[in-house]
Amino acid sequence: MIQVKNLTKVFHDKKRGKITAVNNIDFHCQRGQIFGLLGPNGAGKTTTLRILATMMAPTSGEVLVNGYNVVKAAHKVRQNIGFLSGETGLYDRFTPRETVRFFGKINGMSENEIDKGMTQIFQILGMKHFQDVRVDKLSTGMKQKLSIARAIIHNPPVLIFDEPTVGLDVITARVVIEYIREFRNQGKCIIFSTHQMYEAEKLCDEIAIIHLGKLLSVGTLENLKKDVPVGDLEEIFFRLIEKESRI
Amino acid sequence: MNWNNIRLIYFKEISGAIRDRRTLISMIIIPLIFYPLLFLGIGYFTMMGQEKSDSLPSIVAVRGREHAPELMEILEKNEKIDLVYFEENPEKALEAGKIYLLIEIPEDFNVNKSQEIPRNIVVQYDSTVQYSQVARRRVTNLIEDYRQQIIESRLEQLGLNVHYVQPIKTQWADISSEERKTGSILGMILPYIIVILIFIGAMHSAVDITAGEKERGTLATLLVSQLSRFEIVMGKYFTVITISATSMILGLIGLSIAFLTPAYALGELPLIKINFSFSIFFLFFLVLAPLVGLASAILLLIGIFARNNKEASTYVTPIYMGAIFLGMISLSQGIELAEPMFFIPILNNSFTFKELLIGIVNWKHILSTLISNIGIALIALFVAAYLFTRENVLFRS
Repeated sequence: MIQVKNLTKVFHDKKRGKITAVNNIDFHCQRGQIFGLLGPNGAGKTTTLRILATMMAPTSGEVLVNGYNVVKAAHKVRQNIGFLSGETGLYDRFTPRETVRFFGKINGMSENEIDKGMTQIFQILGMKHFQDVRVDKLSTGMKQKLSIARAIIHNPPVLIFDEPTVGLDVITARVVIEYIREFRNQGKCIIFSTHQMYEAEKLCDEIAIIHLGKLLSVGTLENLKKDVPVGDLEEIFFRLIEKESRI
Repeated sequence: MNWNNIRLIYFKEISGAIRDRRTLISMIIIPLIFYPLLFLGIGYFTMMGQEKSDSLPSIVAVRGREHAPELMEILEKNEKIDLVYFEENPEKALEAGKIYLLIEIPEDFNVNKSQEIPRNIVVQYDSTVQYSQVARRRVTNLIEDYRQQIIESRLEQLGLNVHYVQPIKTQWADISSEERKTGSILGMILPYIIVILIFIGAMHSAVDITAGEKERGTLATLLVSQLSRFEIVMGKYFTVITISATSMILGLIGLSIAFLTPAYALGELPLIKINFSFSIFFLFFLVLAPLVGLASAILLLIGIFARNNKEASTYVTPIYMGAIFLGMISLSQGIELAEPMFFIPILNNSFTFKELLIGIVNWKHILSTLISNIGIALIALFVAAYLFTRENVLFRS
């Protein structure tokens, strides 16, 4: 579903010069799988996911989403993805129903499809009781549910979640994680970035550890443990970073 | 480019804007209520001030009144002059505003009228006090009357007619119609007001739907949708145009109400008579439309370029000041633009409006204005659309 081959992204900053945010990384992610990008702030997770979501173009390398190239067939890629990030906001002056309807329409859905999809999603996410309340009156948890609804209304096979639990309280974060699991059960391909070890450990079928733009290791938790037999994911993570720093 | 997608963005932005109190204030309240009240208020208070100073008698002190009994008689007879004695320090009374004028008559004033040596009267007044200015006008007229009397009596003594010293009499006739006079006054103030209306109305929403979206993180959700970047920019552009045009039209309606109210809208204007032909009206809006398009494109460009609302406001301020400056040039009378100057946006509008309002249709000027404004608006719009595809602009931090 997602194939990332030799992906590199270089930024040019007037003060800092050339910055390689993503450095020649490779991974792939299957249908019905949660793939975690684990790394500290500034590791290159957001840049990678923005490239996957066609918001940015790679400097080199190739990225395919559901078989479509993110540069050559960006429009097709966008039909196949739902994107959610901790930074993405909502329109304060709209209600959840208006928000989801708008995003359904701009993703090419008919009114009937939107109505059907919206009823189903609002039911699953428990949003019915606040569906007509303006967004600026909603709690953080309600907003996050709406963000999820907005991202999945067009029923995309691929979901790209960039730190979706950042800034959320424990209860809301748990709800989000539950839904991510649910989407996997529905057969969607989910790529998920986080800097929280326990989240990655609990949720991901495969984990890629990324630091300063480089992919340090990728595989299932069991495989990572085999490669670096030091205990839990946190230990593996720090050991890999230390090793990288020595090089 | 899919028009349906542009329409989706457009209606989303418009419905967001009309739910935003700030947009409503700048788009509806300021042009439709605040500006008319401002103009009516200025007119009303100017009129009240004038009426009051015209109705009250001027308190005038005279030093040495015994030296000019004839002049005193003229002054005393006039009911708008209130002569008072202020033997002790009348200068201080003038300064304190207790009297409005101080006339000093020298001892040798009332000697033989036929003496051919001019006598001086010193009149002190305070130019910063309205009542003092009114008193000056009144006393000047009375002294002039007295002077005329002396001339006539001297001529009579010499056996000459008054026409002897008035060999030529000129009669002036103003050929301009009431409409033309109105057009001339409107031509001075209207371009300036229109520029303000166009910018004030659109400024907030142009920044809010671009830099504001970046700041709130909603822009990313649009970028990953099936809308193309160009469709998003166009949807937003039409939104800004709509808000700007609404603000301007409501402003013009508001000002028409103010000007047409017989409440002495501009102080000096008793009642504006608007009687433009349809073709002038059409041409006026033909020249106005690209200005709305231009202002909207520039504001959108700034909003897209800026990182956040605050930065956008910083960039918008000098642009707004520059626009006001160009609009203000029309306030000064007597300036005529050279042909190439009709390619400078806003300035060209001001002067084309001026011409149209007094009934002049100069196609060369109209075409220069249209070409320049449409051209620059298109360039600004394409730069805005280009910037909207640039990662370093959309994801600047």
